[in-house]
Amino acid sequence: MKVVTGVVGNDIHVVANRLIDISLQSRGYEVFNLGVNTYLEEFIDAVIETQSKVLLISSLNGEAEGWCRELYRYKDNDSLKDVVFVIGGNLSVGEGDESEIVPRYKEYGFDLVFHQSDLLEGLDIIDNYLKGNTKIKIPMPKDLK
Amino acid sequence: MSLLQRDREIILSNEYVDNFDFAEVEDFVKNASKDLFIAHKFKTNKGKTLVQPRGGFPTYDKMYSLYEQFKKVDVDVLPMTIDSHTRLNDYGSAAKMLRLSEETETDLLNGYPLINQGYRTTRKMVTHFNTPVSLRHGTPDARLLVELAIASGVFEIEGGPITYILPYSKNFPQDKAFLYWKHVERVCAKYSTLNEPINRESFGPLTATLVPPCITIVIQIAEMMLSLEEGVKSFSVSFSQTGSLNQDLVTSKVLRKLANKYANKIGVDDATINLVYHQWMGAFPRDKFKSDSLIDAGAMIAGMVGADKIITKTRAEAFGIPTKEDNAQAVSNVKYTLNMLRGIPAFVDEEEEENLTNEVDEIFEAIFNDSADTLWRKVFNSIKNGIIDVPFSPHIINNNELITVRDDNSNIRIYKKGKLPISEKSFKYEQSKINLGSNPNSVVNQIIKDIGVML
Repeated sequence: MKVVTGVVGNDIHVVANRLIDISLQSRGYEVFNLGVNTYLEEFIDAVIETQSKVLLISSLNGEAEGWCRELYRYKDNDSLKDVVFVIGGNLSVGEGDESEIVPRYKEYGFDLVFHQSDLLEGLDIIDNYLKGNTKIKIPMPKDLK
Repeated sequence: MSLLQRDREIILSNEYVDNFDFAEVEDFVKNASKDLFIAHKFKTNKGKTLVQPRGGFPTYDKMYSLYEQFKKVDVDVLPMTIDSHTRLNDYGSAAKMLRLSEETETDLLNGYPLINQGYRTTRKMVTHFNTPVSLRHGTPDARLLVELAIASGVFEIEGGPITYILPYSKNFPQDKAFLYWKHVERVCAKYSTLNEPINRESFGPLTATLVPPCITIVIQIAEMMLSLEEGVKSFSVSFSQTGSLNQDLVTSKVLRKLANKYANKIGVDDATINLVYHQWMGAFPRDKFKSDSLIDAGAMIAGMVGADKIITKTRAEAFGIPTKEDNAQAVSNVKYTLNMLRGIPAFVDEEEEENLTNEVDEIFEAIFNDSADTLWRKVFNSIKNGIIDVPFSPHIINNNELITVRDDNSNIRIYKKGKLPISEKSFKYEQSKINLGSNPNSVVNQIIKDIGVML
């Protein structure tokens, strides 16, 4: 399955981005990693261009809220209607309350929201979510070697 | 007028430069005190490791008192770290932030805005302290900055077209960087004929995140060759503490040996090659006592590898920009430790040295076999096609297929080689050291653990 990922906004934190890339590949996904400093429009263009079924945006410096709050506007687009939208990382600048942050991002248009979650646990949840999503065929994780 | 001189005049007619006087600057360099040249200090300082901290503040006064503090602890080389607006050639923003820093007495820049301060002012400070100053920046296009640095009496220039791009930038065009740095090398070479040579230094730490020694060495030597090709006569290759004592010792030996071999290969035998060691550049512990231990260990390794210079960190590393007191304390401690380490016996690990030498030679063979007509194009193509691959580089040109993990002795090993053209034998050697379970998550867990090895 194809996944587009990257770090949103003016955020150069590359380490977690590379770890997400490696982890997704080891779980059998075909990854299109746009890297750091990526704008929402670039993510959307890449999803359409690659016909990906998952968009996984991450943020470390907490700027995501400013950059992603209008995601729902794009969801009317026909080529995006089956896409699963995921966001994770530090989702607020400074201290934030998870019970308030998660519903807010769901209103912006995200299906799955991870605030300061463990990377591998988060990916397990995504795997399971996609398995339950009947519109999508699930890849079998293949071993790294 | 030469093409180089015409380019220099265009670059120096920048609105933020106050009337650059070429003849006066040439005269200044010609008659400058030998004590300002680190190249001179390297030659006359037989066997001792020079100590250089990091640091830079926006205002003249704070920079001056930082240097004063360092001189109290008998620093060997002073740093001039440049602010990030200047690094991106945004002199307008740097000017505004400098003015605000002066008015409000708070530091609104993360370094010294050399262009805005000007070379006449900066030269007063540099010549007053009469100690070598090293320019630390991270600038892709440093053509203007380097002119003003040399005009100020700063006779060591750090950086290079690869080491200041791949770790720092997402999309600055790599080919442009090669051409801009070619210009910088020519300017340095030109000034090097007037007095002692200007020393160029490459930035070996790269991303400081699980970079395997063969990649570090290949990039160090590539930048060295590109610099020597243009006539630079004094060059420092560098690397940072890997997190494995053994790997540091092996890296230093192979780097020194191969730097000389490849200098000769391009027909250069009259340049001085120095070795610089960076203390741990990865994430620091938040416990200041543990930081002290890490800094001590780094100093000890610098002594063991016989580094010509060590660049220090401070116990405040995990908490932001260090104060001048923290910084001076680090210099003082490192000098104290180095002073204990005299007459260290030579260290040999033939198997590791042979493997690392082979890997570097194998990568260079592929670089030299590229069909391009000039060295910089060969290196550029090799970055583009993944022959050179830097783990955790944010740059879009980087191949990102190379994956490394630590072995049981904390050595960085190649787990997936991507397009790295190392032989089957070399790759097998790397693989034989790795000890991971069969769980597909284990490599990611291992990498997370390995990055945080000093926490």
